Amino acid sequence: MLSQRSYGPVWARPQRMVCLAHKFLLYFSSQKMGTIYFLCSPRRFHEMTKFLSFTLCIFFLLSVAPALLHASTIFPYNYIIEELDNGLKVVSIPLQNPQIISYYTIVRSGSRNEIEPGKSGFAHFFEHMMFKGTKNVPREAYHDFLTKLGAGTNGYTADDYTCYFVVFAGRENLEEVIKTEADRFINLYYDEEMLKTEASVIEGEYYSSVSNPGRRLSELLRHTAFENHSYKHSVLGYLEDILDMPNQFEYSQLYRKRFYAPDNSILLVAGDFEHEKLMEYVEKYYGNWEPSSYPLITPKEPAQTEAKRAHYDWSTKTLPRLAIGFHGPAYSDEKIDKPALDLMAEIAFSRSSPLYQKLVIEEQKCLTLNAYFGDTRDPYLLIFNSIVKKDEDLPSVEEEIFKELERLKEEPVDERLLADVKSNIKYSFALRLGTTDGIAGSLADYINLAIDPGTVNKLFNLYEMVTPQDIQNMAKKYFLKTNSTVVTLTGGKAK
Amino acid sequence: MRKHSILGILVLGLLLMLVTCAKKSPNKLSSELLPLEGNPLVSFRILLNVGSANDPQRKEGLCHLAFSLLAEGGSKSLTYKEIQKKFYPMAAAVNLSVDKEMSVFTGTIHKDNLIEYYTLFKDMLLDPGFRQEDFTRIKTNQIDFLEKTLVGNRDEQFGKEILNLMMYEGHAFGHHEAGTVESLKSITLDNMKEFYKNHFIQGNIIIGLAGGYPEDFPQKVMEDFSVLPEGYTPHLALGEPRMPEGLEIVIVEKKTPATAISMGFPLPISRADDDFFALWIAGSHFGEHRQHLSLLFQKIREERGQNYGDYAYIEHFIQGRRKYPATNYCRQQQYFSIWIRPLANSNRHFVLRQALRELKNLVEEGIPKQRFELTRTYLLNYTKLYAQTLGERLGWQMDSHYYGYKDFLTEVQKRLPRITHEDVNRAIKKYLNYENIYIAVITEDGKSLKEALVAYTPSPISYANPNMPKDVLEEDLVIQTFVLDVKPEKVKIAPASEFFQKAGLPEGLE
Repeated sequence: MLSQRSYGPVWARPQRMVCLAHKFLLYFSSQKMGTIYFLCSPRRFHEMTKFLSFTLCIFFLLSVAPALLHASTIFPYNYIIEELDNGLKVVSIPLQNPQIISYYTIVRSGSRNEIEPGKSGFAHFFEHMMFKGTKNVPREAYHDFLTKLGAGTNGYTADDYTCYFVVFAGRENLEEVIKTEADRFINLYYDEEMLKTEASVIEGEYYSSVSNPGRRLSELLRHTAFENHSYKHSVLGYLEDILDMPNQFEYSQLYRKRFYAPDNSILLVAGDFEHEKLMEYVEKYYGNWEPSSYPLITPKEPAQTEAKRAHYDWSTKTLPRLAIGFHGPAYSDEKIDKPALDLMAEIAFSRSSPLYQKLVIEEQKCLTLNAYFGDTRDPYLLIFNSIVKKDEDLPSVEEEIFKELERLKEEPVDERLLADVKSNIKYSFALRLGTTDGIAGSLADYINLAIDPGTVNKLFNLYEMVTPQDIQNMAKKYFLKTNSTVVTLTGGKAK
Repeated sequence: MRKHSILGILVLGLLLMLVTCAKKSPNKLSSELLPLEGNPLVSFRILLNVGSANDPQRKEGLCHLAFSLLAEGGSKSLTYKEIQKKFYPMAAAVNLSVDKEMSVFTGTIHKDNLIEYYTLFKDMLLDPGFRQEDFTRIKTNQIDFLEKTLVGNRDEQFGKEILNLMMYEGHAFGHHEAGTVESLKSITLDNMKEFYKNHFIQGNIIIGLAGGYPEDFPQKVMEDFSVLPEGYTPHLALGEPRMPEGLEIVIVEKKTPATAISMGFPLPISRADDDFFALWIAGSHFGEHRQHLSLLFQKIREERGQNYGDYAYIEHFIQGRRKYPATNYCRQQQYFSIWIRPLANSNRHFVLRQALRELKNLVEEGIPKQRFELTRTYLLNYTKLYAQTLGERLGWQMDSHYYGYKDFLTEVQKRLPRITHEDVNRAIKKYLNYENIYIAVITEDGKSLKEALVAYTPSPISYANPNMPKDVLEEDLVIQTFVLDVKPEKVKIAPASEFFQKAGLPEGLE
């Protein structure tokens, strides 16, 4: 039994699977061929589209992009959301592109889920364990399957979720991909020895970026800014916890039971497939996956009441770095806070901003200057980063950033600048949707946050509504000195 | 009648040749077009057959600096600040990559903004401002990149660059694209103008356009770029790179808990050669980039958990979107390389032995039949994912023509099925070896590593897992005493800070 929600105009809903994408394809192909095909039946239409060239289909994907310039349809594709009885949600975006399918499994398991002491980095560790195979399809057979398929495949872990993707050519492979993916999520098998070996790989991954001071600075910022919440540690985790991972076999089983469950997972599928077929296979292969119902309660972060500061001495030569964080709001497509702050970050810290031009281009004190306001399920940090060229300029760059934030509180931003930013974010998003995988990749974050891709349209509608006054209000609300954490890093003399 | 026909064909052929020659005059612009009517995006790839190999001696880094001044500097009419302001609402940018023999300026824009973007892009390239403040900024950044970022913060890349220095010492490829600290300090704004004048000329340039541009747009671009002087930079007559004699090792010392290793040697073939396809299968089997397929990955990471990954390549590889190869890094001369990602210093000797032993096994035993079939199938399918975006499609089209193919990715579908198991094993024997290799190691306490290597000291390792599979432990016993014929005079040690100060490897290596 499925519950189903479908979106888009009535004519596009599943019972009449003539999606907007088909219409666009038809429209443009009819322009090219000088024939009006709108009158043909969906079946005939579908048969015709099967024979269209790859070029035309790429053209189709992109041909919807003009609509992206309207905030209400920034995400212009039709999609269907379904839910299995066990809680597994499926976001289906059939695109009729005869080449590629992007099959994403999003598990709401990230550093946010690592709520117990000593378990930092576990979500990422478990991502690695997910490639160990099952008794039905052992690791080697699983990898051989993906190899024969020539799939682009991997996983990544973020603060709130882990994403596994298989990007492959050929709709005839869909069932086998679903069968194999479902098997590994339901029947994952590994023993303690396999876990111990993989724990060493995590240590290796830690080493692969150990020479990067940017990672160290980011870890220090989170560690200093947060008191209780699991965002305190990075996705990779603390080194001492990584070194203890070989001893965590039992906890890994508990972790799996809690979070690797259908009611904590979402399938996001975009590309060349028929929705009905997709659902037939999903029900068939994921139907017996047992739900977890684990109620994750993340530790509550107390309001910050005084400014914090930390410094890291990097042993070898490096350019000095600065990061300033303020506790900010969680993602929302209903409240104006986060959208207003996103636009503010662009106005004040993007490459075209006066401060960037001053510090990076004119005075050349900084190599980089940027703002990063991530979208997360719980309140995270609004972060300003800079790589500075000389140690002695660190204090003045910090002062300039704070001065700019004060200015945002005192003066409303220029309307014209705000319009430029709104234009930029729309075009930026549109440019990412040029391929099937671009669509799935751009959506993964939002699917984790809201499940419904329509959240993107709601968000961009909010962006449209943001006024200079909103930005000023948000600057006053969040950029308080007592809400700030400043971390710096300078290089040493070691060779 | 038959004579006339033959004569006619000959005349026609001659005319066709003349037309073709006239079209492809080496002194004039050429173009690569991928029109997609109705597509709302337009991708630009302005490619120059000029790269860091064209840097004059003692002016290493000039090409990178000069072209960066175009991509990240103002035009005569607008400052860089003004350009960025205009680019911003369009979400536009001009990106640049500079390799040894090829540089490319790229950008993608919605066609709503095509003319405005193109006007700025064109002026940046054809009418550069050459302002002192842009020059100072970019030059300082380039020096900081070499001295601090590359040497201090990117050990994996650092290792690959040391390998490059070793493979191409005294060769036009033998310096980093960004140059050296010494050479950059000596470069003046006049040097930049001169490089631009000599090399930013019609015959060096391929105008690449893809997407939904208006029908007459390419003609307009060609006309605009025709203001550049005619002429071309003669194709580089590259010398033969010196092949390693035995195991030639450079140990770069720095304070670090992890060791990064890169090794390899020049190859006499490139993508243009028939043998490429067979060797590609071998390379993919042995070390496909960031895929489980890689044998090195399986043996070093998956079985033993030594590090994050281990790969091998039969041509210069830059990762593009996802893990697919980036385009427009074509070279006349290629090289084979192995990339061992950082691992605990305590295990460096063991893993070095292990990688070379696996290479020895590959050379001596070839690729198993089943793996040959698997890898060939993999490449046939995986390459279908290579060209998805407009920029990628255009880039692959340009690279195809560089190597003499109409469409390389289509050629792959034709050629790979014809490659036999024997072809692959023959190519392995012909082109790969395990005895003469350049090895670059970034690590701490290089002296102790040198002593261990030279003295043929056994290098056992321990595992967090006390119950490692028996076959792995048995193999470890063989690996830990695997003979590496390391001569003391072939192992050089230098501190990290001495690299990239001057061209080539640091003088007076111990």
